[in-house]
Amino acid sequence: MAIRILPDQLINQIKAGEVVERPSAVVKELVENSLDAGATRVEIEVEQGGLNLIRIRDNGSGIPREELPVALQRHATSKIQNMDDLERVGSLGFRGEALPSILSVSRLTLTSRVADASHGWQVSGAGAYENEEPKPAAHAVGTTVEACDLFYNTPARRKFMKAESTEFRHISQFINRIALCRFDAGFTLKHNQRRTLDLAPADSEPEREARVAQICGDDFVRNAIRIDEQRMGLSLQGWVGLPSFARTQADLQYLYVNGRAVRDKLLGHALRRAFADAMHSTHYPAFVLYLELDPVGVDVNVHPQKTEVRFRESARVHDFLFGAVHQLLRRQRPEPEQHHHAHFAESATNMSVQQPMRYATPSYSSPSYSSSGYSSQNFSARESASSVESLWAASNATTPSLQESAAEYPLGHALAQLHGVYILAQNNTGLILVDAHAAHERVLYEQFKQQLTHGGIPSQALLVPEQISLDEEAADALESRHEELRRYGLELDRAGPASIIVRAVPPLLAGQDIATLLRELSSDEDRRTNTTHLGEVLDAQHRIMADMACKAAIKANRRLTLPEMDGLLRDMERTELSGQCNHGRPTWVQVDMAELDRLFLRGR
Amino acid sequence: MKLQVGRNELLSALQAVIGVVERRQTLPVLSNFLLETKDDELIVTGTDLEIELESRARVQNIAPGRITVPARKLFDICRGLPEGAEIQLESTADKATLKSGRSRYSLACLKADEYPAMGQVADGRSLTLKHGQLKAIFERTQFAMAQQDVRYYLNGMLLEITANRVRTVATDGHRLAMSEVTLETGFKEATQIIVPRKAIIELLRVLEAGDEEVTLKIAAGQLQADLDVVRLTTKLIDGRFPDYERVIPESGDKRLQANRELVKRALGRTAILSNEKFRGVRLQLENSKLVLQTHNPEHEEAEEDLEVNYDGGALEIGFNVNYLLDALGALTSEEFVMELKNADSSGLVYALDDPSSKYVVMPMRL
Repeated sequence: MAIRILPDQLINQIKAGEVVERPSAVVKELVENSLDAGATRVEIEVEQGGLNLIRIRDNGSGIPREELPVALQRHATSKIQNMDDLERVGSLGFRGEALPSILSVSRLTLTSRVADASHGWQVSGAGAYENEEPKPAAHAVGTTVEACDLFYNTPARRKFMKAESTEFRHISQFINRIALCRFDAGFTLKHNQRRTLDLAPADSEPEREARVAQICGDDFVRNAIRIDEQRMGLSLQGWVGLPSFARTQADLQYLYVNGRAVRDKLLGHALRRAFADAMHSTHYPAFVLYLELDPVGVDVNVHPQKTEVRFRESARVHDFLFGAVHQLLRRQRPEPEQHHHAHFAESATNMSVQQPMRYATPSYSSPSYSSSGYSSQNFSARESASSVESLWAASNATTPSLQESAAEYPLGHALAQLHGVYILAQNNTGLILVDAHAAHERVLYEQFKQQLTHGGIPSQALLVPEQISLDEEAADALESRHEELRRYGLELDRAGPASIIVRAVPPLLAGQDIATLLRELSSDEDRRTNTTHLGEVLDAQHRIMADMACKAAIKANRRLTLPEMDGLLRDMERTELSGQCNHGRPTWVQVDMAELDRLFLRGR
Repeated sequence: MKLQVGRNELLSALQAVIGVVERRQTLPVLSNFLLETKDDELIVTGTDLEIELESRARVQNIAPGRITVPARKLFDICRGLPEGAEIQLESTADKATLKSGRSRYSLACLKADEYPAMGQVADGRSLTLKHGQLKAIFERTQFAMAQQDVRYYLNGMLLEITANRVRTVATDGHRLAMSEVTLETGFKEATQIIVPRKAIIELLRVLEAGDEEVTLKIAAGQLQADLDVVRLTTKLIDGRFPDYERVIPESGDKRLQANRELVKRALGRTAILSNEKFRGVRLQLENSKLVLQTHNPEHEEAEEDLEVNYDGGALEIGFNVNYLLDALGALTSEEFVMELKNADSSGLVYALDDPSSKYVVMPMRL
C-alpha cells in the first residue's frame, strides 16, 4: 500500500482509542472541560452506564458562536497558546483532543451560551463534523454536551464494554475523585433518571469535611488525621487514615498533584513506606491527599489520561511526601476521645432485648457459708480487722490519685488482666482494652529501632567477601553510593564492570540474603536515581528487629501486676505508632461509658 | 520377631540413634526406628533421609524379623523402666508388644519394607583414626559452623584429608575455626568433603575420648563412620567450600600473648554490658596493656584492664565478643597468642604451645 496521510476522522478515531476508552473517559474529559470553564455547578446524566447517553451540563463561561465549530476540531483548545503555557499548565486539560475524539465515536451535540449573548447556539455531528453553521438554541449561560450512542461506529470497541453497572461504577468513581479536589464546584450525578449523588459547593472547612465523609464514608473521617505540611515550596494537605483503618483493597486512596488526580509509582512507594511499619503488607492505607508544588516542577504531559506525572526533583517530592506522612503517623499518641472506638451498639441492644431473662436468674445454688464455717478458720479477729483496715487505707490512697491522673493519662489506669491476654483499664471516657502482647511488641520494636540508629550501625567484616553479579548500571548505582550504604553498616566495593564485592554487613543481617537485598535496591531506574531507597537496608534490619521484638514481648498468660500494666500503658503513651503492633493489628480500643450504658439500656 | 534384651543394653542402643529422629514429621515412617535382628544382635536404625544412624544391642531368645516402631515412644518407655529390667519384645503383623515384669505395652508398627534405609557405602576409600583424635578436631571447630545460612555449603564442616594429616574447618562467614591431627592416612591425593552440621553434632554425641578406632569411609556423596557399636551414614553437602587457606592471615606484626583463662573471664564479664544484638567489644592494645571496653544502649559501660605480653604499638580494634569467647573456649592451653595487623584486618588466635588449632576472627566496625 502506498504511504498517505490518514483522513481526519480516522485520525480522531485512533486518538479516541487512547483518550476515550470507555464511557467514564468521556465523562472525565467533559467534566474537566466544564471545570476549566469555571463552572460551579456540573450536572452529569448518564443512561445505561453511559453507552446510551452522557449529558454534561455546566454553568461555566460558555463558548461564543464563532468558536463552536473550531471546538470540534483536532488540537483546538483555549487552554494553552504556546510552549510557555504548556510548561506551566494550570488547567486540567490542554491537549485539545477530547471533543473531536468523542465526536468521532458518538453522536454529539454541543450547546453553549456566553454571558453577553442573548441566546445559545448549537452544533452537532455524528462521527465527524460536517461544517454546518451553528443553529440557535435555548440555553442558560454555560455549556451542555450530549454524547449519544457511544461507539456506535466502532462495534469492536462496543463489544469490549463491561456490564452497565461496571461502566457506571467507573463513572461514579471518577466523579468521586474529582469531587474530592474541586470543593468549589457542586456535582450531581444521575443514572437512568435516578439521582445517585448530589454535592453542593463546599466553601467552608466543615462543608469540605462533610463532602469527604459523604464520599469516603463517616468511618474514614472518624479514623483520619488532618495533615497540613509546608516545606521547601511543597505543600501537603488532606486526611490520612490511621493505620488501624487499613483496607483490604486500595479503594480509598485519593492523591492529587496540583489538583489533578494521579496514580504515580513514586508517590505510591513513598506512601507505602510511610505506612510500612504500621500496617500488614496485605492491607492498604486510606488517604485523601493534596500535594501542591510549582507547576514548573511537574510534567503532566506524560500520559494521555494524565494519571501519571513526572517530577523534576522526584527524590525531593518522594522525601517530602514520605516524611510528612511518616512523621504524622509517628506523632500520634493515644487519644481516647477520637480514635480506636469499639462499637457494639447495634448487636448489643438486640441481644439484651431478646434475652434479658438469662441474666435475670442467677443461680444462688448453695450458699453454704455457715457462720460456723467462718469461725472455724481460727485467725484472730484483730489480725483480720487490721489487715482489712490496711487494705482500705491502701485503696483509699489510690482512689483519689486515680481520679486525678485519669485526666493526665489518655490510657488511664489498669484495673485487671483478662484471661491473661487483655489489660482492662479505665480512663475518663470509659473502659480501655489493651492487647498486652501486641502493645509490648510495639514498645520494644520502637526501642530497638532507636537503639539501632543510636551511635551508628556497626558492621561485621566478612571472612570471605561475597561477590554479587548485577547488571552494569546497578553496579554503578551502588558503587556511587557506597558512602551512604556504609552508614547502614554495609561495605562494598566494585569488583568488575558487572559485579560488586560485599566486604562487611550489619550484624543483624548476618546470614541473610544480602545479594537479593542489593539486587532489589538497584532493580530499576527509579530506584537507582532515588537515594531514599537505600533506606531499605535499614528497613531490612528493622524487619529482623520486628521479629526480635515479637519474640521478646510478653506472651499470653503472663500474669501482670497493676504497676506492670500501668507501666506498659505509660510506655504506650510515649511510643510512636503504639496504636498498632508491628503487624498492623490494633493494640487497644476504647469503650465509652455511653457505649456501655447502651448495652445495659441505661438512661433510655 | 521375638527377642529378649536387658533394659540398659537396649536403652543405650536407642539413645545413640534417637537424636537423628526429628520430632515433627510429614512422613510417618521417619518417626519410627527400624528394628532388625541378626545373629544374636538387634540392629536399631533411625534416619531423617540425610543421616542414618545404626546401633547394636546384644539380645537373646531370637526369632528373626524386621519391624518398625515409634521411635520416641519406645525410647521413653525404655527410659522409664527400672534399671536392670529385662525386656521381651514380640511382634505380630501390625503390633509390637513390649513386656517387662508386670508392664505391657503394645505399639503400632509400620511396614518395615517401606523404611528408607541407606544401606552400605560401597567402594569408598577408608581412613582409620582414634575416637579421641576425631572428637578433638570436631570439638575445636564445630561452634563456627553456620546455621541455616543461605550459603548452604557453610552449614557443615569441611573435612580435609591429605597423606599425613586430617583437618577440619568450619566458618559462618565471619569467623573461621581450623583444627588438624597428624597421622598417616594412606590417602595419596588430598580429599575434601563437607559434612552436614547435624551429622557432626550426632557424631559428637557418640564419640568418646578414648583410643578405640573409628573408620571413616568416603564414597561419592556419602560418608560412613563406623564406631564399633554405632554406625553413621550421611549424605555430604555438595558444594565448594571457601578457599580457607587464603583467609588465614600470614603472621601479623602485632602479636599479643596472654593467659587464656584470664582474658576469657574478662571478656565474659565485659560481654554482659555489650549491646545484646551486636555483641561488640573494643580491644585497645598498647605497651603490655590490653583494655577491653563495651557499652550498650542503656548507657552502661564495662572496662577491663589486663596485663599482657604485647609490644606491637597502639592498636584499637572491635570484635564480636562471642567469636573471641568461642575461640578461647575451644583452646585448652595455658597461654594463647593473638596476631593482629590493623583495625580492618582479621585476628588470628591459637595456643602458644600448639598451633594445630587456629581461629580467624573478622573485626567489627563499632
